[in-house]
Amino acid sequence: MNLLEQQLIGALGKQKVLLSAAERQTYAFDAISFGVAPLAVVLPKTTEDVRLAVKIARVSKVPIVGRGAASGLSGGVTPSEPSLVISFTRMNGLEILADQREANTQPGVITARISDEARPHGLFYPPDPASLKTSTIGGNLGENAGGPMCLKYGVTGDYVRSLQFVDHDGEIHDLQRDAYDLAGLLIGSEGTLGLITRASLGLIPVPQHTRTLMAHFEEVGQAAEAVSAAIVSGAVPSKLEFMDRACTNAVEDYLGLGLPRAAEAVLLIDTDGHNLDLVEAELELVAQACLAAGGQIKRATTPAESAALWQARRSVSPSLGRIKPQRMNEDIVVPRSQLATVVRKIRELGEQSGLPLVQFGHIGDGNLHPNILYNPREDSAEKVHELAHQIALVALEHGGVLSGEHGIGSMKRDFMTDAVDPTTLEALWDVKKALDPRLCLNPNKVLPELCEVEDDF
Amino acid sequence: MNHQIPVFEIGPQGEVMAMAIDSCVHCGFCLPACPTYVLLRDEMDSPRGRIVLMKQVLEGELELEDAAPHLDRCLGCQACVTACPSGVPYGELISSFRGWSEPKRKRSVSDKARRAALLKVLSKPKILRASAQVGRLAKPLAPLLPRVLRAPLSVLPNKLGKASKKQLSNPLSPIKGKVALLTGCAQQAFSPQIHQATRRVLEKNGFELVIPEGQQCCGAAALHTGAREEALQLVKANLEAFKPSEYAAILSNAAGCGAGLKEYPVIVHGQEEEEKAKAMAAKVQDISEFLVSLLQKGELAPFPAAQRPLKIAYQDACHLAHAQKVKAQPRQLLSAIPNVELVDIAEADLCCGSAGTYNIEQPILADLLGQRKVSHLLENAPDLIVSGNIGCSLQLQNHLAKQKNRTPLLHTIEVLDLAYQGKLGEGKP
Repeated sequence: MNLLEQQLIGALGKQKVLLSAAERQTYAFDAISFGVAPLAVVLPKTTEDVRLAVKIARVSKVPIVGRGAASGLSGGVTPSEPSLVISFTRMNGLEILADQREANTQPGVITARISDEARPHGLFYPPDPASLKTSTIGGNLGENAGGPMCLKYGVTGDYVRSLQFVDHDGEIHDLQRDAYDLAGLLIGSEGTLGLITRASLGLIPVPQHTRTLMAHFEEVGQAAEAVSAAIVSGAVPSKLEFMDRACTNAVEDYLGLGLPRAAEAVLLIDTDGHNLDLVEAELELVAQACLAAGGQIKRATTPAESAALWQARRSVSPSLGRIKPQRMNEDIVVPRSQLATVVRKIRELGEQSGLPLVQFGHIGDGNLHPNILYNPREDSAEKVHELAHQIALVALEHGGVLSGEHGIGSMKRDFMTDAVDPTTLEALWDVKKALDPRLCLNPNKVLPELCEVEDDF
Repeated sequence: MNHQIPVFEIGPQGEVMAMAIDSCVHCGFCLPACPTYVLLRDEMDSPRGRIVLMKQVLEGELELEDAAPHLDRCLGCQACVTACPSGVPYGELISSFRGWSEPKRKRSVSDKARRAALLKVLSKPKILRASAQVGRLAKPLAPLLPRVLRAPLSVLPNKLGKASKKQLSNPLSPIKGKVALLTGCAQQAFSPQIHQATRRVLEKNGFELVIPEGQQCCGAAALHTGAREEALQLVKANLEAFKPSEYAAILSNAAGCGAGLKEYPVIVHGQEEEEKAKAMAAKVQDISEFLVSLLQKGELAPFPAAQRPLKIAYQDACHLAHAQKVKAQPRQLLSAIPNVELVDIAEADLCCGSAGTYNIEQPILADLLGQRKVSHLLENAPDLIVSGNIGCSLQLQNHLAKQKNRTPLLHTIEVLDLAYQGKLGEGKP
């Protein structure tokens, strides 16, 4: 046993440390890519365990990668080099403080559990990534995750009232949301600035009424036009989601709900609130916008029907494996006014490349997930990467950004130089170096290579 | 999942495994569905982790013995299959892998002997019943015995069902057709009254129940513990015994056996029996599927009302709900009885820990799951607990007894039978 292994076992005990080859191999991947197997995996129960693990990694000069359920889609938790993985899945304490409308949570709590436990108090936690039944809140904080509900209710970071994190040195910090908003910096930093060990999250009352509408279109751009028009008309849907024909068919193969397989684009829309008249009036505005853009509409008549449609939407991403085994997943955000143009352009790029390309996403706030589907045995990696790059450029040309909610991770890191100007990039590096001077926290993620670093590793 | 498995070296079962691994996109949607992940919260004890482990062992990148503890902890409940949006046939993968890897396992002589003996006893109803009689008497001694002997004892029911002397096949008025029944092993040994109830319900609806001669254990227990050769012998015997063309359906009233029969085409994939297996599997139905097909055609004899309002907690057997996708049918049938109310169960998709020989091989995890399931089942204070699988029933009975709870537990078909007799809810059901 080497020093790292000895110290970890000595400080944390055998139950919390994984060292065998089999155990380590299963911590090399996330939901989109494979990295290298870690040197060791720690499964902490407390913040103190995390502190000890970080101190020990520091002695052995080993990089540290924090990990939740590894349901991420950007290679954020795949170790880029032999590292210590700290997996938070057993830190799953959760306390609902109903009178304060607050959830006190450890990072390993599964996202969906927060709302499950808050609902008996008439409260819920809105940010709802598609993986919410698997993903941990720590991962959501690291990625500043969003989901369909974020159009109306905001993303993960909007709900954070306080945070605790362990820094690169193994020191524990408790943060509120006041100046300087260091908590805000930690949120969405993908484990590159510190390890979040606790969070207080705001909860809001469950809307009394929800209505669901499905619209489908003969052309992808029509759907995008309907979305812009609906929002201009004053509707604020709680969810406004889009999937193209290939997505609809993949998910229909899985669930068999009777979705319109022939439609080129499907929109799923929820409106919600405490006043039923308003909720229905808002839905009507959306319905009119869809009809005016040439779509056909269908209202869900029961809560079960509505739940099934939303299960369908959540299943899109993983269902794509039915078409080709691998995918390159994008997470662009563009201004709503540019949606129709961008969706059409991306579609054309896909057709030109000959690779299957599908699109879906939180179209209500301009967040699209174009996915390039490929088989590594048949399709060239360069071609896939090149198409992904072109898609990223389309987004940037139309005033967009690279990542809405999945993070940059390792997969979109190369495109950061297109998205961020050199001066800003330097400022980001300064932040990184201030909080992680040894560059030991989740190395080779988010920020593209910078040449000279004072490396006292 | 991209892999370099030498499929041709492994043969037809290699194809089955490689295809399953290919289709996994490692999204992790299976994690919260997996009982061992729910309990242990580590990746190597999740379906996604196990797929990676199997892949690496098959590729020669990882030692089998290194991966084995985590693969052995898999219950084979297939809850992950229900949760999987990519359609990964995980059940086929783990069964095939266990068959492929078992001969390569380094097991002690005593472990090998214990496993072989267990399979032998399990697949022979008469020996099983006799052993159960003896074991039942030995139960009070359990605390004095080493764990290896304690686990099998704890699985045994405190009370054995009565074996009726009456012939099973005794048609009253066969009008609509003939159906065949796989009698299975554990159920025949522990609860033969379930078959009697099955016969009565079928006859009430105009079907003759035939017990084809020469039928054997379905082979599922052998297959799922990796004893592929033993499983193959049993499968082939059953392919001879059951002639699909002669029956309206081939029925099972035990979830595990029904799932086993439906798996035959995969077990003999690439062998001469494959077509025969497909023909047979196409006719296999769980008793509840068959009865619901009658219900939907309006051909099921209506049930008289239960004697008093009854709250029923229905427990999904994994090999019905996940392996066979039979979730709605038992509920439809029970709901068709006037005066019966079904109550919702928390974590209904989570295994009770029985899982074939799991409660013998992994007693600690099995116990945790059993306690958890029984607590959920009792949450709404039901009058009756219902399950469609003998393994689950034994596990639940044991954990009900541990919690000193006397809620009665019946098989779905026993409830239907009692309802037809007008006796459901009479005193204590």
